[in-house]
This record gives sequence, structure tokens and C-alpha cells, in this order.
Amino acid sequence: MPSSIDTSTAMLKKTVMIAIFAAVAVVLSIIESMIPLPFSVPGAKLGLANIMVLTCLYFLNGKDTLMLIVLKTILTAFIFGTFSSFLFSFFGAIVSFVLMYGMMRLGRDFFSLISISIVGGIGHNIGQLTAAMIIFKTSKMFYYLPALLLTGVVTGIFIGLAVKYLISALSKLTLFQGWAAHE
Amino acid sequence: MMKLRRGDILLIGIVLLCAIIFIIIRAFPNEVSDESHSKIATITVDGKIYRTVELTAEPQEIKVQTEDGHYNLLKVHDHGIEMIDADCPDKVCLTFGFITNPSQTIVCLPHRVLVEIENTNPKDQGDDLDAVVN
Ligand SMILES: [Zn+2]
Repeated sequence: MPSSIDTSTAMLKKTVMIAIFAAVAVVLSIIESMIPLPFSVPGAKLGLANIMVLTCLYFLNGKDTLMLIVLKTILTAFIFGTFSSFLFSFFGAIVSFVLMYGMMRLGRDFFSLISISIVGGIGHNIGQLTAAMIIFKTSKMFYYLPALLLTGVVTGIFIGLAVKYLISALSKLTLFQGWAAHE
Repeated sequence: MMKLRRGDILLIGIVLLCAIIFIIIRAFPNEVSDESHSKIATITVDGKIYRTVELTAEPQEIKVQTEDGHYNLLKVHDHGIEMIDADCPDKVCLTFGFITNPSQTIVCLPHRVLVEIENTNPKDQGDDLDAVVN
């Protein structure tokens, strides 16, 4: 039975980690907006912020990651002034989160982080397409799904590798020791 | 470091297969894109039809003004339409490129702007078309 001091220290550590992860995710979104993609697929993106979501899922739990996603989405809406599309990005982020969380919980022996990030990226796209379908009452946007699937595989591999390196680097820090719940 | 598990290869394979199947289905157009008869583009803002425009060969620009003072600039040319400028925050609408057939769309989520293309039916359109030509 842990003492209350231990619990509150752990809580504080956790809160600090979520805050840092959210801040880095926002910075990554800003950097991403400055990088032009070599391909022009509507809705396709690198998804650099997903690096932090996956890292958070790895070190912390689903509830904390959800907190990170809410923070990240609100902060990016403030910075980019994208309130009008806030619900779309939030919907995409939630679909992406649910899929990645499920795979992290049930499929870690079968799938590596690369698969999880591919599914996360594609889930984000499908979530946004579905939101757009509901708003515009047309399914025509799914015309762009095949291109999004292809770019999703490429960016997903890239993001998955980045997460692998980040996790192995962070695991060496004392702050993160004893947190890796998924190994 | 780069260790793909069996599940990864399976998953990537399934995703690629899905993409290919979608592309093959898409390659069979359900509406014949015939260059000889005209097409129109319908521009909707927030679910309401803003205006329709015939996709002419001659270039023309259409400025869509949303109620909250934002804009999207569309350009019609060579029997197609493209979004050339917008003051939306994400600029995703500018990545749709030049579209010419009814399966394609241009969407600007932040402004709720949707551009769709329809083939005009040559049968009941014939008289109008002649009237325009003459
Ligand atoms: Zn736009």
C-alpha cells in the first residue's frame, strides 16, 4: 500500500509529463505546418503530434493520453485560430486514439509501434472524412481515401520509427523509469 | 531497431490491398465523363447552394464570400475548377487541385464550403445550351 506522499508525488510526476507531452505535441504541430509535403493529397499530413500521443500511451495510460489529446487539440485551436474546424480535428483525434489504445492494449505481441502509428494516422483521416460526411451530407469525400491510405502507411512508418527512438531515449531518463507499463 | 512483426506486414498488406481495391473500383466511372457535353459545378456554403457555374473552357474566377467575412477564391478553366486562394487557417482546400469529373470534390472544412461537379443531362439541357451558344 503506497503512502499518500508517494501517491501525490506520482500524481505530480504524471501531470508534469502530460503537460510536457502536450507542449511538445503543439510545437510539433507548428513545425509540421511549416514543412511542405512532397505530395498533394487533401487531408494528408505527417502527424508529428502523434509521436507524443503514442509516447504517452506507452508510458502512461489511456485516461492520461486522452487528457493530452484534449489539451493538444484546444491549444492548437488557440494558436492556429482553427475553432471552426475544432470539432473535426477532435473527432479525428478521438477515432485515432481509440484505435491506437485498443491495439496497444490487445495487440502489442502481434503489432509493433509502426502498425499502431499507421492505424492512428489512418484513423484520424477516416474520422475527419466521416465528420465531413455528416456535415456536408455527402460521401463523395471518400474518393480521396485510397490516396490517404497510401500516404498513411508511409507517414505511419516514419512516425512509428520516431516513437521507437524517442521511447528508448526517454527510458534512460530517471523521470521515466518505472513508467514503461507496456514492455 | 527496424523490426517489423508479422502483424505489421499483415496490416500494411491489408491497407495497401484496400487502397488498390478502392482505386480499381474508382477506375470504372459510373457516370461517363464525356467532354462533349457541359458540366456544372455546384458551390454550397453551410449546406445552402451559393451558386452554380458552368465549367467553361474560358477562365473565370468566382469569389465565395462566407457570412463571417471570410473568402474562398475558385477558378474555372479548361472545363474544370480549382480553389486558388482562401483565408482559412488550414489551407487544405488548396490541396484538392484542379478537378474535372463528378466523383471529385473540393472541400473547405473551416468555411463549410463544398464544390461538387455534375454532368448536365444533354437531353433536357439541349435547348438551353443552344440558346446560350446562339
Ligand atoms: Zn480551406
